[in-house]
Amino acid sequence: MAYSNKVIDHYEHPRNVGSLDKGDASVGTGIVGAPACGDVMKLQIKVENGVITDAKFKTYGCGSAIASSSLVTEWVKGMSVDQAMQIKNSQIAEELSLPPVKIHCSVLAEDAIKAAIRDFQQKQGAAPDPESEPEH
Amino acid sequence: MSVDIDPFALFDLPRRHAAAREAIEQRYLELSRAAHPDNVVGEGTAARRAAVERASAVNAAYRVLRDPVLRAEALVKLGGIDLDSTDPERGAPHPTQAFLLEMIDLRERLEDGGPDGVAALRDDVEARGDAALDAAVAALDAGEFRRAAEHLVARRYFQRFLDETDSSAP
Repeated sequence: MAYSNKVIDHYEHPRNVGSLDKGDASVGTGIVGAPACGDVMKLQIKVENGVITDAKFKTYGCGSAIASSSLVTEWVKGMSVDQAMQIKNSQIAEELSLPPVKIHCSVLAEDAIKAAIRDFQQKQGAAPDPESEPEH
Repeated sequence: MSVDIDPFALFDLPRRHAAAREAIEQRYLELSRAAHPDNVVGEGTAARRAAVERASAVNAAYRVLRDPVLRAEALVKLGGIDLDSTDPERGAPHPTQAFLLEMIDLRERLEDGGPDGVAALRDDVEARGDAALDAAVAALDAGEFRRAAEHLVARRYFQRFLDETDSSAP
């Protein structure tokens, strides 16, 4: 199966690879995994005055998983936390033209940004929304 | 991989991980012979197609039964947990955050380590993968499918690490 040009571009030139200081109160860290394939994704955001000013990721997985997380870090920079919370995996899949068997990679990226936001909110002392807890 | 048929039933073997290797080989020979397409030469299309499908099912079951990992994953699937599914109830159990963190740390150590470090890390992870399979088999023998599935998921993560290590090796 051929990867789309956008996937290949993000895979070959991933944006925002790296780490932020996990202990920083303004940094939220989301770590998610895809148990079926062993992919693991770490996505971090830095939030200042309610706006995401930086985002980094490290993904160990297939090209689509790397591209999905790379794309999300690009998207969220400059977004408010609430806006970033609204990102849907379908938008990621559409932007990257992911085939059906790779949709789970975009789900992983959505889970990762939501987990990072929740981690940030917990650090800020905000009560986490029980509706948004993952089912595991 | 998917197990649409019960390979243990097809091979008339008990649903146990410790299936005897000789019994698997013996049954494979018998079933292959019985399902050989030569047996239906001259018969109708339907019979020939059925024979081909049967031979293909026997080969698929053999591939699962002879591989200790696939055999364990098939037993877990027969126990109601499909490691290839993301369904929260019947799919692969999610590892803990601590485990996922460790998988990231392993990669970072891999990136930082020299050739000696990489070899040692690889050996260590390979041993942990083997231990995870052993633990899964022990859980299967105790009839604890969920626990077996958790160990098999951990094994997949270790395997993924090993595949990455090997593909990036010079």
